[in-house]
Amino acid sequence: MAEKILAQKNLVVRHSTVELIEHWAIAVSGLVLLMTGIFELPVAKRYYIITIPGLGWTADFITSLYLHYSAALVFTAAAVFHVVYHTARGEFGLLPRKGDFSASIAVIKSMFGFGEEPPMPKYLPEQRLAYAGMAFSILMLIISGLVKTYKNIYAPDISHTVVLWATWIHNIFFVLFFLAFLAHMAAIALKPNWPLVRGIFTGRVRLDYARHRHPLWLADIEQKSGGTEIDKTGQAAGVETQQENAPSTREKRR
Amino acid sequence: MNQKNKAEISRRSFLQVTAGAIMLSGISLPESANAAKSEGLATIIDLSLCDGCVNRKIPVCVSICKEINKNKIPLPVEPIPEPWPRKMIEDWSKKQEVFDRLTPYNFIYVHRAEVNFAGRKKTIYVPRRCMHCENPPCATICPFSANHKFKNGAVVINQNQCFGGAKCRDVCPWEIPQRQSGVGIYLHVLPGFMGNGVMYKCDLCLDRINQGQLPGCIEACPREALLIGAKKVIQAVTLERVRRMKGYIYGMEQNGGTSTLYISPVPFEEINKTMTKKSGQPDMKMDVPRRMAGTDPLGKMVLTAPVLGLAAAGAAGAWNWFSRRKEKMNKKEGENG
Repeated sequence: MAEKILAQKNLVVRHSTVELIEHWAIAVSGLVLLMTGIFELPVAKRYYIITIPGLGWTADFITSLYLHYSAALVFTAAAVFHVVYHTARGEFGLLPRKGDFSASIAVIKSMFGFGEEPPMPKYLPEQRLAYAGMAFSILMLIISGLVKTYKNIYAPDISHTVVLWATWIHNIFFVLFFLAFLAHMAAIALKPNWPLVRGIFTGRVRLDYARHRHPLWLADIEQKSGGTEIDKTGQAAGVETQQENAPSTREKRR
Repeated sequence: MNQKNKAEISRRSFLQVTAGAIMLSGISLPESANAAKSEGLATIIDLSLCDGCVNRKIPVCVSICKEINKNKIPLPVEPIPEPWPRKMIEDWSKKQEVFDRLTPYNFIYVHRAEVNFAGRKKTIYVPRRCMHCENPPCATICPFSANHKFKNGAVVINQNQCFGGAKCRDVCPWEIPQRQSGVGIYLHVLPGFMGNGVMYKCDLCLDRINQGQLPGCIEACPREALLIGAKKVIQAVTLERVRRMKGYIYGMEQNGGTSTLYISPVPFEEINKTMTKKSGQPDMKMDVPRRMAGTDPLGKMVLTAPVLGLAAAGAAGAWNWFSRRKEKMNKKEGENG
């Protein structure tokens, strides 16, 4: 279990190193796939992208294909790793739960000053819904991409119906994946989510933020650890500080 | 002999063709519609037989092709939408009669080559059209899969699915497909911003083949310079003819192999010297690598990526298990003092 409360430093370990590697492997390769996927369309010459310094190669579809394949290798391997690794560990916290849709609306409303955000576990309901949408898009992109790759190498005369299905699934989910990426970026832009940004770079978020927003998650960590992690960090003063910052959690723990 | 009889004889003789007969004969090898449905086809263009139909205004292969495809392209809309931001409209609808280059309305033309070879001047006529490659980049890389290679080897653009982005022309070593702006599905999407018409090229008369007929140019050639048949047979005949005339082949290796095999009594290097690559007029240089071949090893790795991910998850799981075990043992040792 990577999750750990570091009370003295006012931090909580939110993501393990493996999870950070997974996220960034998917993110960077996904971004390369989006870019090179766009350059697999005849847009670079038409829209004068080739005139931008450093982007002269974008009109060469074969160069883009090299990059697309390179990124697809990382993307596919990381996605399969993610599913197998977390399934084996029984980690399903990102999967949507009943009531997530209405809870998401409540969270979004609270971000704009309408109502109070209910106490949250590690992941917010809209994060779980977004994860499901993103994961399904990635699954479709990978399956259709593998069919297209197989066709490119081994079977240019594969059934045209199969190729058309694979192509249009790839194209439609490319658009959805792109929109999902934009939504992901938009979520980061919202102030209440800023403390989470640090987490995806360092694996840690501020403890006072977590006490305020994710009390159910912290309660879960404390329950699992039996308080040992807190003790290890020698945090008597830290706990006091946290309690001042998170009255709702204190209530819960009592 | 009328064309119908000739075609029947051709089909009959095709069915009778055996390896021995191929070796013995200089026969005009025909085709079989049955073969088309089950196995790959290939064609021969024998330049030792083609005389460019010099006594006619337009070579027969060209005129029959024009006749067959005359109603293929719908009338372009008026005015043709101007693409943004690069304002490039390609409109051949008012120049449909052009026959000395490839256009959306002309899928085959004949190049005249005056060649000096072995101390002699020789005139060679070279019909040019789509080579129908073994692994055609124009089809595999089409973003909408509007261009597809069928089991019988024909590489065909579906004009109802093509947006006319001309990517196929960019990746074709001979830049064969030609664009007609103002027609096609792009008009119903975002005509100013996406697409620019439809790409057209020889489709090996796929409809005719499916109906048991020969491609128009092959059926009409008065000198049987153009032939079609099962790929293996065509390759065997090509090699035999080349051996007998001490000739040369083009299309066997180029772009990773094609389904169009040119046979010539003079080297193609000499023929290529008479060609200047221009829009709609491809050259015949010998060194034509299949550029996508370079991406194949990476593509094969992509196909194994799920296994790599699985293996990595197994390794990470094992690492976790050992770490936890070690941690437990250390804890135990600590507790025991």
